[in-house]
Amino acid sequence: MKASFRQSMAWLHTWSGLIVGWVLFAIFVTGTASYYRPDISRWMRPEFTQVEPVDAAALGAAAERAVAHLGQHAAKARTWFIGLPQADKPVLDLFWRTRPGEPPGHVLLDPRTGAEAAVRDTQGGDFLYRFHFELHMPPLWGRWVVGLCAMIMLVALISGIVTHKRIFADFFTFRRDKAPRRSWLDAHNVTGVLALPFHLMITYTGIVTLATFYMPWGVTAAYKGNAQAFFSEASWITTPRPPANRPAALAPVGPMVERARAARPEPLERLMIVNPGDANATVVAVFEEPHGLSHEHPQIAFDGVSGEILEVRDGGLKPAAKTFTVMTGLHEGHFAGPLLRLLFFLCGLMGCAMVATGVVLWSLARLPKAGERPFLGLRLVQALNVGSIAGLPAAVAVYFLANRLLPLDLAGREQWEIRAFFGAWIVAALVPLARPQRRAWCEELAAVSVLCLAVVAADLLTIPDHPLRLGGGDPLFAWFDAAMLLLAALFALAARKMLRYEAPKRDRARGAKPAPVTAPAASPARPPARRPEPTHA
Amino acid sequence: MTPLVLAANLGLSFAALAALCLSLNRHHAEVFDRKAERAAVLRLRAFGWAAITLSLFVAGLWEGWAFGPVQWIGALTGAALGLVLLLSYRPRYVAPAALAALVAAALPLSILAVSA
Repeated sequence: MKASFRQSMAWLHTWSGLIVGWVLFAIFVTGTASYYRPDISRWMRPEFTQVEPVDAAALGAAAERAVAHLGQHAAKARTWFIGLPQADKPVLDLFWRTRPGEPPGHVLLDPRTGAEAAVRDTQGGDFLYRFHFELHMPPLWGRWVVGLCAMIMLVALISGIVTHKRIFADFFTFRRDKAPRRSWLDAHNVTGVLALPFHLMITYTGIVTLATFYMPWGVTAAYKGNAQAFFSEASWITTPRPPANRPAALAPVGPMVERARAARPEPLERLMIVNPGDANATVVAVFEEPHGLSHEHPQIAFDGVSGEILEVRDGGLKPAAKTFTVMTGLHEGHFAGPLLRLLFFLCGLMGCAMVATGVVLWSLARLPKAGERPFLGLRLVQALNVGSIAGLPAAVAVYFLANRLLPLDLAGREQWEIRAFFGAWIVAALVPLARPQRRAWCEELAAVSVLCLAVVAADLLTIPDHPLRLGGGDPLFAWFDAAMLLLAALFALAARKMLRYEAPKRDRARGAKPAPVTAPAASPARPPARRPEPTHA
Repeated sequence: MTPLVLAANLGLSFAALAALCLSLNRHHAEVFDRKAERAAVLRLRAFGWAAITLSLFVAGLWEGWAFGPVQWIGALTGAALGLVLLLSYRPRYVAPAALAALVAAALPLSILAVSA
């Protein structure tokens, strides 16, 4: 590459952006949605909104019921996880793993009776959240793919900053009514530059959250392969205790829950029971995060047999560990109240828009000249653009729709919701291959709009105490549906714009105008000699 | 506290960014149909940077120096997005909107100052 530094960076930006663009878009969309994971989960389990929240004093008894259930159904498991009832999830959420390779067990219980909770089978917002960093692949593979994409994203961000010559002069510039390539480049720049602190933060901290997974060698060398020792020194977990291999009965957990509750002001979030039934059983009570930037859950470990407190983990982190937890905290944004969360969400949307405009720019910069046929790669990129930018939102809408419309007693219901998601996405990705590009954009954007409206309709029809039907009920449904209506309007607007742009586009393809793509002097304020950066897009 | 502080941050950010934006020739011409005078450019820039700094201190003092900077940047990003959209679709409204934002920021600021 015999070119200036900036041109090399432009090349790097173009190709690093293109190869990971579609996966990045999916990561950004699902990650942005994950800012509202608890709300999405609650919307997808409408039964919860009718359950009275559990009194804090009744937590001990509820935990006992959970242990009784696990003792019966998961006696061989090495670790039991018990999610305690929360205001937004008023059930016992049990999870256990017997041995690696076997599918984990999972069940929701009514905390008052210990019977299985009457709630529809769904993964709720957790599906989108896990997709954000595992892409619904086997966890190790998924995390590697996402990590690689994030690292390449960081490369694309930095090279993009270098490439952008007029980063300050064009800070506020969005010429939406100029030549398409100019407008798209402006949109790409504006969404990238205005939210640049967020993009850099989210990409970097995203890699950091899984840093020890991507680069385990430091820990392996320093702790001689004992990663658990590192985790406990970094205060992620309490000191692990190996099983004694002597059976002993687990002490009642109710009193432990009471002692834990008395020890700290934060609500208890979950219990972790390691090696139940062993003489070295440990019960770890995990609290919600105290208000703060950093992501650290206070924990209290009890001896599972005697019930005595073994260890209290509560702040006091060393600088490196603190830096790490602050970075994960910033990434997750748990600390953000409703308004700040909305700003985070907007930043996430700008990230989605930046990636989307980026991959569209690549194809716009390579539109065939008059009389030429589009080359195969261009057709593929164009189809993938439609399939991801319009296809993924369509798939998410179908996922929500499936949650409302699938029969409640369907076997494997939660898997069917996910199949609906991927089925819709596959269709949305294949259709553009067979359709003219403009037509495909129009149809799919309009389809997303219709699907969002269908979600609202299905919600109104299937939720008997929907606030818009009775005036009472949980306002969550009204908020969710309002967001869906807003999305429907946005996608309808986008579809309309595509439709209106069709005529001049066709002229160009026929050669009525000679290649206006490179037309200079879009604005009189700019010297006409400056052509749109040919290498940038 | 937080909604008030965030409102002040958003208002200050919008007014500051609008001033910086109007100090650029292209946008000044879009909004006012004439080139900016040198003195006006300097005044707009001074005001813009001062308001951005003030916004940081407002966020830091009331939200603490851990959350403050996060909220400061968040408010700047949100305000910038609004400004760019307004500039693109209704450039004539930018100046009145900036003044309104300044007034809208002054209200929560004075409440905060009185209650402090």
